[in-house]
Amino acid sequence: MSESTSTNTPKPSSSVKLVLLGEAAVGKSSLVLRFVNNDFQENKEPTIGAAFLTQKCSLPTRTIKFEIWDTAGQERFASLAPMYYRNAQAALVVYDVTKPSSLTKAKHWVAELQRQASPGIVIALVGNKLDLTNDGNEASGEPQADGEQQPPAATADGDDAAGEPQEEQDATPGDARKVSTREASSYADEEGLLFFETSAKTGVNVVEVFTAIANAIPESSLKSGRGAGAGTGQTTLGGGRPAEDSRVNLGDRSTATAKEGCAC
Amino acid sequence: MMQWTSFVQKAQSLIDPANFTLPTLTSTDRNPSKASLFRQQFRLPDSQNPLQEIAAELILPIPHTSSSTSSGDQPRNLDRAGNRYAGRLHLSERFICFTTQPTSFVPSATHSVSTHWAGQTNGTGPFGNGFTLPLCCVRRVERLNSLSHVFSLALTTWNGALGKQQSPGFIPQRFTIQLVGSRQACERFCDGLKKGLRECMKEIESLRVVVNDCYSEYLLSGAKSKGQDGDNTEVRQPPDAGLGMIFRYPGDARKLRDRSKMRLWGEYFRENGRNATLIRQPTFHKLIRVGLPNRLRGEIWELSSGSLYLRLRSPNLYTETLSKFSGRESLAIDEIEKDLNRSLPEYAGFQSEEGIGRLRRVLTAYSWTNAEIGYCQAMNIVVAALLIYMSEAQAFFLLSVLCDRLLPGYYSTTMYGTLLDQKVFESLVEKTMPVLWDHLTKSDVQLSVVSLPWFLSLYINSMPLVFAFRVLDVFFLEGPKVLFQVGLAILRINGEELLDIQDDGSFISVLKSYFSRLDESAHPRSENPKLRAITRFQELMVVAFKEFSGITHQTITEQREKHKDAVLENIESFAKRTSIRNLGPDSKKLGMDDLGVIYDRFYEVLYEHQQRQRLLDEEKKRQQRKRVERTSILGPPVDREVGRVGLGPSPTHMDYDAFRDFLAATAKWAVGDTPGSSRKESNVEQSANSFRGFGKSLAWNNKSEPADHEFMQRLFRKWSTEPSEGLSLQNVVNGLARLKGPRDIMNNINYFFDLYDDNGNGTVDREGILRMSEALLFLSRRGFDGAITPSEPLEEVGERDRFEQDKLSTDERFLGSVSSFIRRCFEYADPSNPEGKATQERKDTDTEEATEKLDAFAIGDDDEEEDLIDIADEAKPEPSDSKKQNSDTQHNRGASEAANPALDPNNPLHITLPTFRMVILADELLEQFFDTFFPQSFRLSDQSLPAAKLTSLSSNLTTFSNINTPKPHTNAAAGATVAGASGGIVPPGKGLRGVLDNIVSDGIRMAAEVKKRMDEAQRELERNALSRPQEDDEEDDEEDYDPRSGTSAPPTIVGGISSWGAGAYGADPERRSVRDTDRDLLEGAEVVSIHKKEDTSLLDEKEEHQHAAEGSSSRQQGQSSSHSQNDGNVVSKVEFES
Repeated sequence: MSESTSTNTPKPSSSVKLVLLGEAAVGKSSLVLRFVNNDFQENKEPTIGAAFLTQKCSLPTRTIKFEIWDTAGQERFASLAPMYYRNAQAALVVYDVTKPSSLTKAKHWVAELQRQASPGIVIALVGNKLDLTNDGNEASGEPQADGEQQPPAATADGDDAAGEPQEEQDATPGDARKVSTREASSYADEEGLLFFETSAKTGVNVVEVFTAIANAIPESSLKSGRGAGAGTGQTTLGGGRPAEDSRVNLGDRSTATAKEGCAC
Repeated sequence: MMQWTSFVQKAQSLIDPANFTLPTLTSTDRNPSKASLFRQQFRLPDSQNPLQEIAAELILPIPHTSSSTSSGDQPRNLDRAGNRYAGRLHLSERFICFTTQPTSFVPSATHSVSTHWAGQTNGTGPFGNGFTLPLCCVRRVERLNSLSHVFSLALTTWNGALGKQQSPGFIPQRFTIQLVGSRQACERFCDGLKKGLRECMKEIESLRVVVNDCYSEYLLSGAKSKGQDGDNTEVRQPPDAGLGMIFRYPGDARKLRDRSKMRLWGEYFRENGRNATLIRQPTFHKLIRVGLPNRLRGEIWELSSGSLYLRLRSPNLYTETLSKFSGRESLAIDEIEKDLNRSLPEYAGFQSEEGIGRLRRVLTAYSWTNAEIGYCQAMNIVVAALLIYMSEAQAFFLLSVLCDRLLPGYYSTTMYGTLLDQKVFESLVEKTMPVLWDHLTKSDVQLSVVSLPWFLSLYINSMPLVFAFRVLDVFFLEGPKVLFQVGLAILRINGEELLDIQDDGSFISVLKSYFSRLDESAHPRSENPKLRAITRFQELMVVAFKEFSGITHQTITEQREKHKDAVLENIESFAKRTSIRNLGPDSKKLGMDDLGVIYDRFYEVLYEHQQRQRLLDEEKKRQQRKRVERTSILGPPVDREVGRVGLGPSPTHMDYDAFRDFLAATAKWAVGDTPGSSRKESNVEQSANSFRGFGKSLAWNNKSEPADHEFMQRLFRKWSTEPSEGLSLQNVVNGLARLKGPRDIMNNINYFFDLYDDNGNGTVDREGILRMSEALLFLSRRGFDGAITPSEPLEEVGERDRFEQDKLSTDERFLGSVSSFIRRCFEYADPSNPEGKATQERKDTDTEEATEKLDAFAIGDDDEEEDLIDIADEAKPEPSDSKKQNSDTQHNRGASEAANPALDPNNPLHITLPTFRMVILADELLEQFFDTFFPQSFRLSDQSLPAAKLTSLSSNLTTFSNINTPKPHTNAAAGATVAGASGGIVPPGKGLRGVLDNIVSDGIRMAAEVKKRMDEAQRELERNALSRPQEDDEEDDEEDYDPRSGTSAPPTIVGGISSWGAGAYGADPERRSVRDTDRDLLEGAEVVSIHKKEDTSLLDEKEEHQHAAEGSSSRQQGQSSSHSQNDGNVVSKVEFES
């Protein structure tokens, strides 16, 4: 959305390690793809172990560079997850609004993160595949101050989606929702999580999730990235990450997929 | 909890299955067995064992292409260099193998430490020179007697001779082996060979089928038929060499110099044999290193990985598997479907239905043959890659070899193999590139996040396909070490750039760009054109195999061994954490420690059972002298390690036997009385015993057998949601949570009642009441550990009670409580049948039955009993002694009730939960039982582990088997006990404890017997329905209590029941003495409990009434009981102090 791309002056930039967790086939990779490339693919390369992508997100006062670890969803890869969420500052726990079991799995991940991940990790609970429901307009559990959200479009897209080949085709094409917004959001409130319902397919709320996470990351836990304001906000995170600077070689290669600013 | 965890792991490491695969293996080290090394070395199927081995020299003929002389005169050609190899010849059931690598596998061959068994090779794979020849490929063996002192064999193979037509100039493959060894050893080897050849003759048809799928056959015969022209046009279609034949092979064939490679291979095949009969010479290895030609790639993979031999073993397994499971659904299939469209989508073949169909079928078929692995993401990529070069069946068998042997544990449900190899890789990086390693550590870059996909998908989606296949070419021949060598080389080559990176992102991107430029020149600016021509990939191969040639199979094996425990522990703690956290709301009633204990115990028991079952199966097979023929030739190796959560799919449900073991580790009462005797399957037990010889470390040998009681069965049924499946961890936790949750006596009472409410209608019938009482006795038979303390003894008893109430007397009292429990239950039971007889009558007679039951516990001394009876008879009219009730006398009245409704099937009765509650709460001991003992008897983290003490405990017990075969000295001891009980003499040591145990055991049996008798009586009743004899009290009493009547007393309707008590035991002096003590003790307890009953006045006057009627004898009995009780205390004190 426009708000995030409007900055030209150099702002302090910092990296945030973000990990995506959730049951298989809830759309983790698709969310990332939507965020990073503003794209949607029916057949994505499977995630072996984890995929790594980066994307920047401009906030009014700073730029956040997300280092996104998109993990494999298959159950047996769960034992690899600690490797990826180690030192993560943010986590996206994704479930599928048409599949109640995926919320259960999401809760397990939340519990795991709260117990095992870095203290202070920002966790967002995300119900994906909103396009398969017909109440996309009630979508965002925590509406961001973002007037450009387009709920009507989402609903329309939802109808479109019914015609396209979809994994989760339901008998009633309009609404395949099986997890109510209230149920998930009250759980999120209880656990102190950010909460969104998204559609990677239509793009609804995807950027908002990442923006909200960027905003929620406490300034103090940000390590400095490259750029003009290299010195600012430079702190060591949890002792595990030594303070570092001047990553001059990061270059274009590292962000082959990334564009300037948020992908919207 | 931690302690327990480590204990479990220690125990698990002790029961490492690798130790038991071979009967000859007794050591407890974790090295693989020789047989498995042998199989690894030659990539043989699991059915093969090293049978014979001998030093030998392989003498190959001069290639007929260069010299057309027949192969008859080798000796003259022996001077040719490279044609003569010294090595070892090995023989298994179906294979004869030769390798120049120093190897030795036959157990008798060496007694040195296991790490040196196999020489340097350590089962590294077939990359030495030599051959692996299925015996069915051998057409003829001749013994050459060229020189008297040399033992030479000439082998002629079926190489090229299996086709329908043979060209006239066909020369069979023939080579010579000189055995080096004593004449005897040579003869022995030849005998083994002869036997094997004979057995394998029938497999020639399979060989024909398999060989026909090999492209090499087509290559060689096709070339010939071309020369012949004419009628051969329809002869052969080229065999399926993968999707590449339809969709083109990846890469530019010209650039890959495919044609010249093909020519070289054709020549090699002609000289050294093809597919199954190929002989490995140095050229073979060179040809593989330069990359295989497209159409032969699949075949050579199959050959060097050994999957060819699996296919040879059952050529139709793939199609059979598919048809067998056709139409079936599974989780794996769902998962496979999700990934089909995203497996090497860049290859045209996998954008087509044809390619996707093949992929689907191979993955599905494998998921059925190895359900433990099922499907793991990354397998789709690997199989897709295989399918480009080989047929479905070939890919299927190769996938099996991959998952089960080359990449053990990679795709398992915990992926421990993957994690383990990541650890190994990291440690190798640290060792070989310390500077880089330091930098990565400092930058907090985790190497494995990058390298994991390399290993998991064999570089296939990391490198461009053409290069990944080159890596695979070597990998299938030389084994997993190749993955490490290549990985290390990648890091070494990119070392400088990597030293600049600061985070995961840049690390990944450096490598990504490197992979994308593998085809570029490694030295683009070099003056030397030759050097300029070297691609980055070639450089990579050189660095990998030259610079890291020190990374051998041995290195990997050692490193894996070193890191294995840590990796497994990590996985296990993750699994445990996750599993416990996900147990649901009920589990919150239990503490984390408790849950941890349950979890550990649950899996310990399951693994132990799995282990035991495995050993028994193996033992059975061994006993039957059947060679291990597996139902499927695929699947995990027979000697693979199991038995840890971290190792992959674990059993998830406990059957009843396992549940018993679980309970035995949890509650003392669930420990059986006779170690070993309670196991149902006698043959199983037999083999278990026969195993004790070599399984010293097997945990269960030191463990007491669990008991088997109806109560446990009920618990099992109650806890399980799906009894046919058994109990899941969730079931067990929920079950225990209800009992061990917040202390709540009502809950416990309800729970117990529910266990016996068979119909779920809130009632428990007569049968159930008896079973309840049995269960109470069963649960209490090992004492209460102080959970139950009777209140201060009442004055009547207390006056003579000089000793503190201790455990033993609690036991006694509890027996009394149980007997009054039965009585009261029947008293307050409701008729299930509204038309039943008058309540009054029924209650009386119910009571009587209870009395009989009590009689069962009362085991009397001759004299005293007679006395009692006399007194009882005379004192019967005296109502004044009502406070000292003794139910023994009740039967006088009861017996007079001719029609006994309690025994009458026409008068069913039941108790309801409120009644049950009332009866329990009416008794102090029972109340305490349910309030504290019952929940506490399940020990989790809150108390020390009973299992640790079990051994000593059970050895103290007088067991059922002891009862059945009383030894003279036992009798004497028991006699002494009796004397002690009546005369105040303290008997020696264990006597009374044993006696008590007998009592309890007897009591339990008694309850069962009462039921039997009831049935008998019922039948009797029916028979005598019209004229029921009126029995008078005296007669009844006499029958009941005449000890001399012994076994002779004919059971009559009512009297028979009570007389049984005396009858059954009358003849045996030990028994009688036991009964005496018991009876006395019981009566003592009875007095107390009855007294209390009155105090609490929960019971109505009917009780009083009975008391009054029966009270006459109780005064005396009360006295005698208090006597014996005191004595009992003394005895017990001695017992417990000693």
